[in-house]
Amino acid sequence: MSDKEMTKRKRCVQPMGEIREEDHRVIIRLEMPGVSKEDLNIHVENDRLRIYAARRDEKPEGTFLVRERSCDDYEKVFTIDETIDRDSIDAVMKDGILEIQLQFKKEVQPRRIEIKGS
Amino acid sequence: MELAKWRNNDVFDPRGEFERLQDEINKLFDWSYPNDRGLFDRSLSPAVDVVENDNEIILSCDLPGVNKKDLDLSISRNVITIKGEKKGEQKHEGSKTYRKETWSGAFQRTISLPDSVDPEKVDASMKDGVLTVKIAKREDVKPRQISVNVK
Repeated sequence: MSDKEMTKRKRCVQPMGEIREEDHRVIIRLEMPGVSKEDLNIHVENDRLRIYAARRDEKPEGTFLVRERSCDDYEKVFTIDETIDRDSIDAVMKDGILEIQLQFKKEVQPRRIEIKGS
Repeated sequence: MELAKWRNNDVFDPRGEFERLQDEINKLFDWSYPNDRGLFDRSLSPAVDVVENDNEIILSCDLPGVNKKDLDLSISRNVITIKGEKKGEQKHEGSKTYRKETWSGAFQRTISLPDSVDPEKVDASMKDGVLTVKIAKREDVKPRQISVNVK
């Protein structure tokens, strides 16, 4: 990324999340309150998985009495290795939580080897 | 009477000053559990915004993944309480967690709003993991425009 691009970019926050492996797939669960399905942008570019979400939720007019929430866009980049199947990435957005499922490539999944008896 | 360590502030004590500086810097990097934790500490309770305008008070609260039925919202006079439970993900057996930055469990936040709110006129909605509560202001405190006829 060039310097010019850097200065043009908006301030982003990294969403908090959870990463776990389950049933031969990796599940990434990110908390993004205030983001709907339409605002999400998920890209896979070589070995980078980029999740970007613009905040388009309504901001109330007036003076802030308490301000703790962030109103910046969300961005998170993960590096994925060659064991992940790029073509079968699933994402579900519900109630401000994004869940991404990454499948391992078939050849990486452990294969049980039968032992033949004599 | 108060018993405190006597310190002569007129005497310049470089060693003491360095110790004080070191203490303060150490405090900055002290990520361990602070001993002044409250019962409903912020790090384990959802973030809240409260905005006031001429007609109403708008409270927004980040509650990703929280179901409407797990929430309990109550108001008495001008004190609003959000209670609920943020449930963690149901895990299968044999699942390995690599990283966990999120929290789950019961939470409660109580916020004192300005006296001008009308506790009878509350409207709450939930969208994309954000709870929005709109509390109207009482009619008698709303700014009114009075036109004055100039003769």
